[in-house]
Amino acid sequence: MADVNVLVVFYSRYGKAEQLALAAGLGAIQTKSNIRLRRVADLADSATIAADPAWKQNLDRMTMDYVVPRAADPAWADVIILATPEDSSAELQRYVGSLPSIGGMDGKIAAPLAPGNNESALKPIYAAAACAGLIVAPAQAPSPDGVASARAYGRRVSLMARALKELQDRPV
Amino acid sequence: MLTLRRAEDRGHSNLGWLDSYHTFSFGGYSDPKHMGFRALRVLNDDRVAPGKGFGAHGHRDMEILSYVLEGKLAHKDSMGEQHVLGPNEVQAMSAGSGVIHSEFNGSATEATHFLQVWIVPSTPDVEPSYQQFAYDPSEKRGALRLMAGPDRKTTPPSAFIHQDARIYASVLGSGESITHRMAPGRHAWVQCAAGQLNVNGVSLKDGDGLAVSDEAELSLRGEGTKGGELLLFDLA
Repeated sequence: MADVNVLVVFYSRYGKAEQLALAAGLGAIQTKSNIRLRRVADLADSATIAADPAWKQNLDRMTMDYVVPRAADPAWADVIILATPEDSSAELQRYVGSLPSIGGMDGKIAAPLAPGNNESALKPIYAAAACAGLIVAPAQAPSPDGVASARAYGRRVSLMARALKELQDRPV
Repeated sequence: MLTLRRAEDRGHSNLGWLDSYHTFSFGGYSDPKHMGFRALRVLNDDRVAPGKGFGAHGHRDMEILSYVLEGKLAHKDSMGEQHVLGPNEVQAMSAGSGVIHSEFNGSATEATHFLQVWIVPSTPDVEPSYQQFAYDPSEKRGALRLMAGPDRKTTPPSAFIHQDARIYASVLGSGESITHRMAPGRHAWVQCAAGQLNVNGVSLKDGDGLAVSDEAELSLRGEGTKGGELLLFDLA
């Protein structure tokens, strides 16, 4: 069985996108993939964040629980799950836009996620991932249980990566 | 047969916030001669700086036990469990089909010193679960106090693990001794967690481990001025 590495990168302010990222990561573990969890940094300045106590409190907690993505992470990954909040995709869009400069993205799978499959949040992530040379997985069909759906998505995209790796190893 | 694994021969990693000694291969320390003993796969001796810790990461198919020697260890996981563990408490997590968790030093001022143990489960893909219990320190003084084993709902309480392995803790004063009978075909690992011990004539100091096979009995004795503390793994 091919070993699959799943990088879960998310941006979150109040924890909703984080929850989806964790669920997708858990789904990936359930298919015996290796995972790394990373939170991209805020673009907002510290005064803006400090003026919003809920954001600040979540940020303090998330800074303990996650490091920011490192250059070695996407190179390691077969799948990059990208979880963005519905109201701000600029942070993750910028991250995905930085991937081509790292190189070697061809054939890796990008798997975007947003609460409620929010189209306006997902579209720029899809576009950036496709332009970065990644194979972009379709979004999950809308579901009332977003967490269960994200877990199923994590399972599906890591199985897709495994199938792809195993196909690549076969003679044509 | 007794095989000594000396503290100074263990793998070592120091990340600043984490100073860790690895009895068996772990993370960046890899030695094919030290990949575990029977079902015991990982035995890490970790010191975590105040307020620091292991961020969110995943596990599957592993029985993970933490035994705190000093300080506090805060735990949070994808099952919704959130607890703080201290000395004279045991935490056991069955990763099974998959968990994501984080572990932090629960104190802003004091370092945490704990042993983390990974046991390979006999059954893969079990439902993930979390257990934690406290015991009175007198229960391990001069006695082997069962921390974890394959029996559910023991008296006094111990953690259930998905493996035919029993893990005991004991604190032995200088000169104080106890014995543990080994059933035929069983193996044992004795880890000196603090102080000094003597096991079947072999002296162990803090961080030393002893692999035991084909012995009918273990004779455990506290040595030095203060004696010692140990974890005993009785393994198939």
